[in-house]
Amino acid sequence: MNYVIIGTGAAGIMAAKEIRKLKKDAQITMISADEQVHSRCMLHKYLSHERTAEELSFVEEDFFEKNQIAEVYGHIEVIDTANQMVDTKGGESICYDKLLISTGADSFIPPVGDLRKAKNVFGLRHLKDAQEIDKMAEDAEKILIIGSGLVGLDAAYGLIERGKKVTVVEMAEQILPVQLDAHAAKTYQELFEQAGVQFYLGCKAEGAVCEADGMIRAVTLDTGKQLLCDLIIVAAGVRPAVGFLEKSEIEVERGIKVNSKMETNVPNVYAAGDVTGLSGIWPNAMKQGQTAARNMCGVGTEYTDTFAAKNTINFFGLVTLCLGRIRQEEGDEIFVEEDRNVYRRLIMKDGVPEGILLQGDIAHSGIWQYMIKSKIDISSMKNKIFKITFADFYGIGDRGKYVWKIDEKMDKKTDKSRQNA
Amino acid sequence: MNQCYGCTTCESADKPLEGFIKNLPLETSHHRVEGQSTKCAFGLQGVCCRLCSNGPCRITPDAPRGICGANADTIVARNFLRAVASGSGCYIHVVENTARNVKNAAQKKSGIKGEGALNKLAALFEIEEEDMYVRAEKVADAVLADLYLPEYEKMKLVKKMAYAPRYENWEKLGILPGGAKSEVCHGVVKCSTNLNSDPVDMLKDCLKLGISTGIYGLTLTNLLNDIVLGEPKLRLAPVGLRVIDPDYINIMITGHQHSMFTYLQERLTDADITEKAKQAGAKGFKLVGCTCVGQDLQLRGAHYEDVFDGHAGNNYTSEAILATGAIDAVISEFNCTLPGIEPICDELKIKQLCIDSVAKKANAELEEFDFENREQVTEEIIDKVLLSYKERRGADCASEERVELNLMEEHGNERTLTGVSEGSLKEFLGGNWKPLVDLIVSGDIKGVAGVVGCSNLTAGGHDVLTVELTKELIARDIIVLTAGCSSGGIENCGLMTPEAAQFAGPKLRAVCEKLGIPPVLNFGPCLAIGRLEIVATELAETIGVDLPQLPLVLSAAQWLEEQALADGCFGLALGLPLHLGLPPFVTGSGAAVKILTEDMKELTGGQVIINPDAKESADILEKIILEKRDALHI
Amino acid sequence: MRRIIVEYEKCDGCKNCSAACMQAHRKTPGTIYDLDLTDPENESRNYILKGDDGTYRPLFCRHCDEPECVMSCMSGALQKDPETGIVTYDETKCGSCFMCVMNCPFGVLEPDRMTKKKVIKCDFCMSDGQEPNCVKSCPKGAIHVEEV
Repeated sequence: MNYVIIGTGAAGIMAAKEIRKLKKDAQITMISADEQVHSRCMLHKYLSHERTAEELSFVEEDFFEKNQIAEVYGHIEVIDTANQMVDTKGGESICYDKLLISTGADSFIPPVGDLRKAKNVFGLRHLKDAQEIDKMAEDAEKILIIGSGLVGLDAAYGLIERGKKVTVVEMAEQILPVQLDAHAAKTYQELFEQAGVQFYLGCKAEGAVCEADGMIRAVTLDTGKQLLCDLIIVAAGVRPAVGFLEKSEIEVERGIKVNSKMETNVPNVYAAGDVTGLSGIWPNAMKQGQTAARNMCGVGTEYTDTFAAKNTINFFGLVTLCLGRIRQEEGDEIFVEEDRNVYRRLIMKDGVPEGILLQGDIAHSGIWQYMIKSKIDISSMKNKIFKITFADFYGIGDRGKYVWKIDEKMDKKTDKSRQNA
Repeated sequence: MNQCYGCTTCESADKPLEGFIKNLPLETSHHRVEGQSTKCAFGLQGVCCRLCSNGPCRITPDAPRGICGANADTIVARNFLRAVASGSGCYIHVVENTARNVKNAAQKKSGIKGEGALNKLAALFEIEEEDMYVRAEKVADAVLADLYLPEYEKMKLVKKMAYAPRYENWEKLGILPGGAKSEVCHGVVKCSTNLNSDPVDMLKDCLKLGISTGIYGLTLTNLLNDIVLGEPKLRLAPVGLRVIDPDYINIMITGHQHSMFTYLQERLTDADITEKAKQAGAKGFKLVGCTCVGQDLQLRGAHYEDVFDGHAGNNYTSEAILATGAIDAVISEFNCTLPGIEPICDELKIKQLCIDSVAKKANAELEEFDFENREQVTEEIIDKVLLSYKERRGADCASEERVELNLMEEHGNERTLTGVSEGSLKEFLGGNWKPLVDLIVSGDIKGVAGVVGCSNLTAGGHDVLTVELTKELIARDIIVLTAGCSSGGIENCGLMTPEAAQFAGPKLRAVCEKLGIPPVLNFGPCLAIGRLEIVATELAETIGVDLPQLPLVLSAAQWLEEQALADGCFGLALGLPLHLGLPPFVTGSGAAVKILTEDMKELTGGQVIINPDAKESADILEKIILEKRDALHI
Repeated sequence: MRRIIVEYEKCDGCKNCSAACMQAHRKTPGTIYDLDLTDPENESRNYILKGDDGTYRPLFCRHCDEPECVMSCMSGALQKDPETGIVTYDETKCGSCFMCVMNCPFGVLEPDRMTKKKVIKCDFCMSDGQEPNCVKSCPKGAIHVEEV
């Protein structure tokens, strides 16, 4: 059996491992446009020179040999699903019995001024991006980052480590608008400002004109303010990397359309990770890859753990966890606790936690994802809401596993499936 | 994030205080409860033994004996006796110093403020001397002589002080104490490595230590203090953090030995000292009451209106009192001076002075009380406090050096009844106990409960069980008498104002409203448990019964320390039911539990009741009171 | 695989296992007598939680069959060893994102106290080549290693 995986990100690597675990003798080939396996979540560590390109890898050095996986470098030209063939731009043709597409996503550069054609504008998505930014940053004095999401701030964090002057423009009135409430965001903003980063919040980049040498040296905001720059990083979100599928039979909506087994509309073709547009979260990509792999090996599995509104943040040693809904809605009950080291905010609706933000102290906080995901009614514990621990749900299953013990009356979830160790 | 030190503080019965502490930028004991919430069961049960290098040994089902062979009963009894001996030692230290202060004052022919109190004691001790000062000296000498007797010679004043039926009971049980200091020594010898292993014998020693603690450490300390500090007088006074007046140079006092402050409290209001304060930018000097010495000053507040602002709070309020920023110095002479005040004093530049080396705090200066050089030491102390004031809030203090104030002017209340003692209460009732006895007989007052002892943070939180239990008891028409840090919590929660009558049951409420008194009467410091015992004894005498027959119960609901355990043993020796919110680290021994909770009834008439729930505890205590009423046919 | 089994009914909350864990992971050599219990760098990988009813609830890493922490690790620092079943953690690889803390369904994991750069996680005392230190330390014999 010939297994072919396109992409060596979280989903692809996970799938390869899983296939090898299930099928000792299968032939596995991985095709990638990246020169080496790397974790996108650590690109800022490359920018800050904390890590080399090799140190961004999230697999063992001998991963491919050890797992007997053939590595092919190249971009995809076309997928011929009728003949079960993948053609690379380098002219290679690879047949498959089962194909997994896990090509991830690419940075989205908004159509503002000349941003899309300038030589000094980059996303920060691939190692290649980081390498190009790094090279240009050598001589750059003024770096402009558009977008203050996690990627934008990662870039800022990496570059201030190297003593660069960094300016960040954000459309929302606060930084990290998807992850944090204004209060928690302000704390990070102050830390970044203390480190020398300047923020322009509540404004949009409107004008950016390439000079004769193809460089943009000033960006105009909708406020009229002009920001001088010699390097621009755009962190305005990503789009599934599906460009090469235009001529294929594989159905694409926002991303590649898949069912709960991660099957596409075409037999023997699967997709997993960011390319599906289901979520942009590492553990979810891993689980999708695992699910796809199992199904590719004939082990029927479904991708059920779809909860994706989760993130952790760690800048300047200040850690934050954000889960579920952050914005307040009508009928919410809000719990807030704050001191000099900690800020905690919980959104509860009808006794069920729907979102939590923990800043400063996230020790033992893993239980919150479970409670939110499983819609557990914790209204009886309001008097100790931030002191809830696994002790309150402590159960021991077979082989010494932990299990969540939940009273009938606390169980607000229709799906009674329980997550065990 | 805001400036609060930490959001997880423990609960307090005093809700405004709880909020204040939660918002403090400083760490207090209330913040530390959470981090210590998982307690070791071996420690809790008293079955961890560290008496020898083979240890620590801990009792488990697989290891029911320590390496030496000591079983749970022996380990528990040894640990308990050690704690009681230690606690007794503390109170004996207090009475010893107090007697010495009376003696020293008398020798200098000065400082007698309560001649009536002196005469009562002299009569009791059968001392007949024309000269008041000689009389006082002989009274003090009689106490000191007893304290210094060897263990094998019985103390002479016990028979004069104790209620006759009790004395007989103690004689019969063989628990009449020898010299009080020697008894402490005897106790610690007994529980050392590989000596006594007999839990019954060791618990009997605890009773013996209870008697010497109670009669000398508690009762006589009060009566001696009455001679040099003045007798308590009933009055309404403000309590809580509101008493702190930032216009003055404020000294927070902590400890148990009021007679050590005699000279300082007089001197602070002298014109030349006030003038010094004025030059520094303040109106004068004030003492702010905290812990039991503050309670004692409050009790005698009628004599000290100029220098005493009022009682601000108990041991676990001390950090909050300091955090107001308006305290310029802490003078401590004994417990309960929490180690946790030290970093707060550092942070807020509060001068710490200790006047008794037994309570020397790490960052305090020792200005040991010294009778011969009292004038010079007092001047030194005042100068140091003055300097502290100047450096933190004086007129010339630079603005960046100035300590910020965080007052809580609304905290507490204005009208707490204080000054209650066996003397002032009897006087209030018309010079005898008959009116109270009549009310008890008629059932208007169902019974009497002494809610005494300390404050802790673990029996539900700060004063939570104490206050809840008190409310439950008064709602059942049981009048509550208090002494100790329990008083501090209860008074800040408003239960000692005449208006608190509304929380009493209908019958007790009517009595309170008629007399204009609260349903909870504050006898002051923990030492005043001795005063409660006098009230109980005199009531028993009036009715003509022994103490265990009275519809009277004790609760040290939130007992904290070893001294409280020695007090508790006195309660048991008196034959009284004693409720505790948390067990005194004895539950690992079946024998100890049985002796304390059951067998004791046959021995002295007393019993220990352990229950952390206010309502259940009140039910149990009420049931005991009703049984005693039945037995008396009332 | 082997798993540290805790009979929580036997636990008396003495935290000896926590002290033993700190001892096993201390930086400087020494005995339990000189283990600095005030040094914030001495961190235990196990925790004794208290139930509302006063009973003890020991929280120890389960080295789960399908570990959520490994699934969430974007640096490859956390791995499930296919041979031993142990979930290993390579501090030098860790990217300090703490997704593992968020994804541990039992709330076992936490960032380190001082630097917030690494995860505090049970390593089965593998470097000792002996039984995990917590096992040896329990005076109630409530902790043992079992082949599961």
